[in-house]
Amino acid sequence: MVETFTPAVCGSRRRQRLALAGFALGAVAASALVGASLGAVGALLGTQLAFVVAALALLAAAREAGIVRLPLPQLRRQVPERWRSELPLPVWSVGYGIGLGLGFLTFQPVATFWVACAAAVALGKPLAAGLCFAAYGAGRALMTAWPRHGQPDPTSAVESLARRRRLLLLGNVGALLFCAGLLAAAPAAGAAVQTLGAGLDPAAAGTVLGRARMDSGSSSVLVQPRDRTPIAVPGAAAPAVDGGFLAYEDGQGVKVIDWRTEDPVARVDGQVAKPALDWPLLAFVRTDSTYKRLVVADYTNPASPVERVITRISAVNDLGRPSLAGGRIAWHKVTATSSRIYAQVLATGRRSVIARSSVFVLANPSITSRRIVWVRQNSRSCALLMRRWASPAVKRIYRTTGTTRLLWTTALTGRTAYVTRWSLGTAASTLVRVNF
Amino acid sequence: MRRPDELVDGAAHALSTRLAGGLTRRSFLGRMGGAVLALTGGAAVAAAVRPEEGEAFHFCGHIWTTGSCPSPTGRPRIDRHGYPLRPGDGRPIDNLGRLVNAEGYAIDSAGERLVGPDGEPLPRAPRTRLCEEWVNERFGLNSHTQGSWYRCCGNQIRKLVDCCSRSRRRINGDASLVGYCWHGNRVFCVMYYDSGLSC
Repeated sequence: MVETFTPAVCGSRRRQRLALAGFALGAVAASALVGASLGAVGALLGTQLAFVVAALALLAAAREAGIVRLPLPQLRRQVPERWRSELPLPVWSVGYGIGLGLGFLTFQPVATFWVACAAAVALGKPLAAGLCFAAYGAGRALMTAWPRHGQPDPTSAVESLARRRRLLLLGNVGALLFCAGLLAAAPAAGAAVQTLGAGLDPAAAGTVLGRARMDSGSSSVLVQPRDRTPIAVPGAAAPAVDGGFLAYEDGQGVKVIDWRTEDPVARVDGQVAKPALDWPLLAFVRTDSTYKRLVVADYTNPASPVERVITRISAVNDLGRPSLAGGRIAWHKVTATSSRIYAQVLATGRRSVIARSSVFVLANPSITSRRIVWVRQNSRSCALLMRRWASPAVKRIYRTTGTTRLLWTTALTGRTAYVTRWSLGTAASTLVRVNF
Repeated sequence: MRRPDELVDGAAHALSTRLAGGLTRRSFLGRMGGAVLALTGGAAVAAAVRPEEGEAFHFCGHIWTTGSCPSPTGRPRIDRHGYPLRPGDGRPIDNLGRLVNAEGYAIDSAGERLVGPDGEPLPRAPRTRLCEEWVNERFGLNSHTQGSWYRCCGNQIRKLVDCCSRSRRRINGDASLVGYCWHGNRVFCVMYYDSGLSC
């Protein structure tokens, strides 16, 4: 390819530069597209593949080191030479770039490309995978431009590189081993876990994170939009966020405000707590001496909201913080004999038991239109579990052990879950973010 | 022909088995007390509670090989109804292994209710029977508390209890034995109840 992009072949130095630019553009764009597509596939699969990719990288390193013999999937083809004579320069140069930038339409001398493909799937993020793969295309383009610098003859530059093939292969083996080590060490085999500082009762909507904080026995709510100054609401607890709206408990009941302007939007007075928000729907738990009732209030007509009781339980039992999203509501019920996670479709009233146990404590579900997460606790450990609505398979995405790392309330947005992690001894709590 | 003491032993064993195999709500020892032990005792029961070295397999009095039933603490100590107790002192605990008061709320050693990260008292957690609920849920078995035997452990009578089911595998993973189970059941795991009666 380096001998294709010469002034003689292209017609002039100016046309040569144009051809190189076209090739680079095609290579980078095609590589980015491959990476983004693989990342999208990974996002759909939603499985934890870090260990699989680590194993592939190890296998590839063994192949490159000559320890194992493995054929590589590849098309033993070159770019169509006739394009140079049949097509305009901008077209064939971009076409050549796309052909080589895709990666799988030509020779694969080493296994690294396929390991990178597996890693893009494991990453599960189209944008990040696209950017990483764009580097592959840039590398392809660089190899067509680089040899002419400092060398009178690009062919001799390539030959000098070819003479260092063994060294390059050893470097490739080292890089693959390094990647295998990084992937194997990835926390929770693919699920990135990060602590976000003190707080409890997370609430999440898109790029906005809300949390409660306890300071000297008094509670306040902090709303943290990305790239903006956090907004504090003193005397508030148990936040719920939906876009620009914030619901929280205060001394009088539950209040809904526009957190950007702090303008009040709605309020429910009395023995009400644990709000959930999917505006214009507001859910909360109303408690009296006999029962706890889960109520959904519809504020479509703010002047006269319509309340509906979803369920009620005896006041001695635990009716947990509900979650509202995508036309569903989820909550937990814990009694002396069992615990259950419920979900109900609001439009039809169809209720299902997502999980039940007579042994474990199942609590604090959070939902989106596609998934539900909840906490399972036993005497030795806590687990954050996830399930898609479309599949009964339950996956554990985070786990803690001991009494100093218990899990509490949760929040969910996209493929990011938030959970309160707290200590039984000190009651101190931390927010944890789990990407899965 | 059986010797007289063998006849008494057999009758005492049959009676103690029948009584012990009653509803778990009614503890054999709780109802009968020491006096009945003296009446039914014959050689069998007396021999069973004779202080001995208690060559425990994994807890005192358990000289066989069947593993413990699942429990919050790992040691399957139960009350007369089959609910979990803290092994060290016999205080009631919930399924999370926390001390609980009479209403089932988690408390600390001083009896104060435990609080969560929000400063509010923690809600109740389930407190369920090790055999009928725990084994049922974790192993999918229709299990029941059935047979039992007695040993002297720590100068008090310990009742060792079989959790029985139709499973041909016990909790250890190998073949289950009939033990003291009946009606076609076999021993799946074992638990124990400390009576507090001196021996």
